[in-house]
Amino acid sequence: MSRVQKYALIAVAVLLTAIPALAHHSFAMFDQSKSVTLQGTVKDFRWTNPHVFVQLLVKTESGSEEEWSIEMTSPEHLARVGWKPGAMKPGDKVTLVIHPMRDGSAGGQFISGTGPEGPFAGSPAPNGESK
Amino acid sequence: MTLPRLALAAATLLGCVVSMGASAEMPDWSGQWENVGATPDASGGFNQSLEQVLTRMQWGPPNRPELQARVDKMVAAERKRLEAIGRGEDPGGVDVKACTFGFPLVMLDSPLMFEILPTRKETTLIFSSREIRHVYTDGREHTPKDELWATPWGDSIGHWEGQTLVIDTIAVKSPFASSESEGVAVMAFGDVEGEQTITILSSQAHFVERIRMIDKDHLEDQMTVFDPNNLTAPWHVNRTYQRVAHIHRMVYEDCEGEERNPVVNGRFTLAPPPSATPKPAAAPNGASASPSTPPN
Repeated sequence: MSRVQKYALIAVAVLLTAIPALAHHSFAMFDQSKSVTLQGTVKDFRWTNPHVFVQLLVKTESGSEEEWSIEMTSPEHLARVGWKPGAMKPGDKVTLVIHPMRDGSAGGQFISGTGPEGPFAGSPAPNGESK
Repeated sequence: MTLPRLALAAATLLGCVVSMGASAEMPDWSGQWENVGATPDASGGFNQSLEQVLTRMQWGPPNRPELQARVDKMVAAERKRLEAIGRGEDPGGVDVKACTFGFPLVMLDSPLMFEILPTRKETTLIFSSREIRHVYTDGREHTPKDELWATPWGDSIGHWEGQTLVIDTIAVKSPFASSESEGVAVMAFGDVEGEQTITILSSQAHFVERIRMIDKDHLEDQMTVFDPNNLTAPWHVNRTYQRVAHIHRMVYEDCEGEERNPVVNGRFTLAPPPSATPKPAAAPNGASASPSTPPN
C-alpha cells in the first residue's frame, strides 16, 4: 500500500461530503512500490516552499547526462529532522534512493540519501542506523 | 536578631514567596512544539498507522446514529479517492487549496510545529501554518452573541489552574466547509492508504482544553467536546506534544505557494521550481560573468 502525505496542501472537499484531503495528491505520481537508487551530481538544491527539490544529473548508459527532479517535503519539515539549506550543493556527488515516477519520467520522491559528508539527516547510515 | 534584620529577612522571604507565586502562575513553555508521532521525515511521510494515531488520541467520538451513517459514507468515499490516487489518478472533487487546519484539528492531528506564549492576560499559540489562537485570560467572558461570528479558530477564553491552562472555545467554523451548517470536520490520519477517519461536529460545539506540562519536554492537551447536536455524550480526546528537536525558531510553511504537482491529462506530474541561481549575465566584452551567490 502506498504512503500518503499528511500535509503540504489541504485540498478542500466541497460540502464536507468527503473527508478533506491533506495533500494526498502530492505523492500520487510516485510509484510507492518501487525504490530506485540514483548516483549523480547535484545540479541544484532548491530549498523552497512548498516543497524542496533536488535537481540531479545522472549519467545514462550511453554516457550522456540526464537531469532528474527529486521532490522532498517542505523546508520547515526538513529543518525539523535536521536538514539545512546547504545540505546539498551544486557539484556534490550523492546517492539518492527514491520512489520513481509512475510515468517513467526522470523524477521521483526522496526517501534517503548519502552525500560527501555521509548520510543525510534521517537517512540510514551504512550500519543501518538513522543519522 | 535585631528588628531591622528581622524585617529584612521577612521582606526577603516575602519576596521569594511572591516570586515563586508569580512564576507558578506563568509556566515557561518556550520553544517549538509538535504533535508526538507527527514528526515528518524527509519524504513528507510520517510512518504512523491510523490505529497508532487513534490510540494516541484516545479517539472515540460518541457519534449520534445519523452522524455515524454520514461518517461511514465519507470514509467509504475517501477510500475510493485514495484508491484512485494510488493509481496516480486525480480523483476529482478538489476545489480549493488552502493552508489552514483550523481548530480543533490544528491541536489534534496536525504535523505543524507551534509556539505557546503565555502572558498574564492572554496566551497565544502560533503555528507554522501562520494560524494563531488567541486565548484571553483576563477574566472576560466570551464575545457577546451580537458581536460574534464563527471562524476556523473560534472564540477562546481561558484561565490558569496552577500550571494548567484551561481554554474554553466556541464559535468554530470548519475551514473545509463553505458554511457553518456543514459543521466542523475533525479528522485522524494514518500514513497508509485508505486509513483515515473523521467526525463532524456542529457549529454549536463547545470545547474545553486543559493544557499542562507533563515533563520538561512534553505538553499534554486534554480536550473535552460538548456537542449535543452530533454527540450522545461529551467526547474526551487527548494529544501530547514534544519539543522540536532540530530547530529552535519558528519557520513558517507556505503551502499556498507555487503548485509543484499539476494535473496534466488527468494525471499528476512534477513541476520543479525555477532555480534560485541567477543566470550569468553577459559581460560587455562577451565573456560570461561569474554567477552570484544564490539568495538565502
